[in-house]
Amino acid sequence: MMSALWVSKTGLAAQDMALHTISNNLANVSTVGFKRDRAVFEDLLYQIQQQPGAQSSQDTTLPSGLQLGTGVRIAGTQKMFSMGGMQNTQAPLDLAIDGRGFFQITMPDGSIGYTRDGEFRMDQDGQLVNSQGHPLEPSITIPPNADTITIGTDGTVSVMTQGNPAATQVGTIELVSFVNPAGLQADGGNLFSETPASGSPQSGTAGTDGLGQIMQGNLETSNVSVVEELVNMVAVQRAYEMNSRVISTSDQMLQNLTQNV
Amino acid sequence: MDKLIYVAMTGAAHIDRAQTLHSNNLANVGTTGFRADFAQARSVQLYGEGYNGRVYALAEQPGSDFKQGAFVQTGRDLDTAIAGEGFFAVKGPDGKEAYSRSGDFLVDPVGALRDGAGRQVLGDGGPISLPPYDKLYIGTDGTVTIQPEGQGPEALVQIDRLKLVKPDRGAVTKGTDGLMHTKNNTPLPSSPDVSVVSGQLEGSNVNAVNEMTSILELARQFDLEVRLMKSAEQNDETATQLLQIN
Repeated sequence: MMSALWVSKTGLAAQDMALHTISNNLANVSTVGFKRDRAVFEDLLYQIQQQPGAQSSQDTTLPSGLQLGTGVRIAGTQKMFSMGGMQNTQAPLDLAIDGRGFFQITMPDGSIGYTRDGEFRMDQDGQLVNSQGHPLEPSITIPPNADTITIGTDGTVSVMTQGNPAATQVGTIELVSFVNPAGLQADGGNLFSETPASGSPQSGTAGTDGLGQIMQGNLETSNVSVVEELVNMVAVQRAYEMNSRVISTSDQMLQNLTQNV
Repeated sequence: MDKLIYVAMTGAAHIDRAQTLHSNNLANVGTTGFRADFAQARSVQLYGEGYNGRVYALAEQPGSDFKQGAFVQTGRDLDTAIAGEGFFAVKGPDGKEAYSRSGDFLVDPVGALRDGAGRQVLGDGGPISLPPYDKLYIGTDGTVTIQPEGQGPEALVQIDRLKLVKPDRGAVTKGTDGLMHTKNNTPLPSSPDVSVVSGQLEGSNVNAVNEMTSILELARQFDLEVRLMKSAEQNDETATQLLQIN
């Protein structure tokens, strides 16, 4: 059968996956702390049909050979950890990280999830939890009589209570960083988990070691650029159309062959 | 039996090969740094008994297109594109030095600089490895500078320079791994004339219109060969009829 059919099939499959990535990025254009993905294309192996430089006779060699590529594949997706925009919300428990750090979240199974989504709230005990209700690590509990909550750029959480002029420190939010954040596994729910590729988390105080300061009353918006994604989508769609055109052309060639010979 | 049918058959078979080559180019229209392959057909005359009228077609790939692909602005500090001629040096799957134009670099957990397909990127002093950093800059000559983790911009450290080579035309050819190789895999010297741009990626240099047109043209040629096969068959049929005794 015509190998062009299979080569174009790899093109269709890869463009389809690229479109999947783009649509996921676009769907998350307003997800707080979302980091966009990029599909990485790689050409597949080449097959040598005729070796260039092989002897065409005892004294002469073939000037050029024939190497046929076998198509394309998606080598992987890269998470792009560029900063999203800062959205000022004025809510005391909305936190954004101005740097490379991640918040730590204790998952129900006891493991630690990492997130850039700083939309925290309090549960019935006053504990700081994320939007799924999983507590922040190290855990911070706001006393019930707290009037105002202040979170410093270094992660210090202090509260003012009625009738007490001095602020009470109730805990410190620690941040972690990774050597290769692009190697983190995205688990959904704005959470990432550690993998051998990401390296182990290095914890520290916010504002030091490039971890970034914590900005209270702000949220980090998604880093998806709508214009860029739409332009990519046009390119992917056209590439898909052209590859499918090659399949129909190959099909017509085969049809002609089977009908006439 | 008329030998015409064999000439038409080889023609069709080689058109099929050229078609595969063009569809591979088209499949890689979105592959970063991909270089399109050329296809050509050569006529090979068959010498033998009687009149030397048979000339077969032979599809060949004379080389790859080294034209510059379009730049795509990404803003990512590790994305690097080569402006003009030249190649990045990477460690191929066989452990030997090979060359590529794809600059979608990333840092692995041990700090080694790798390309998008996971191949180690080479610097002038061997494979590049980066300590934890806050910021990274790649200069126009490929010099990699970092601001180490937790330190200010006054503590910039120069790590290495990307190994950039500028081979003569025809000195490198595409290998089966899709990377460019020199003959006998002899490493090329690093060249100071190659300049790179950070924050950009070079797209594939496949001209989709050209490829599409070639594919349609080849499809028509294929139909022509099929028509010839049909004619050969009809010729034979007529000859058989003429010779029938009844």
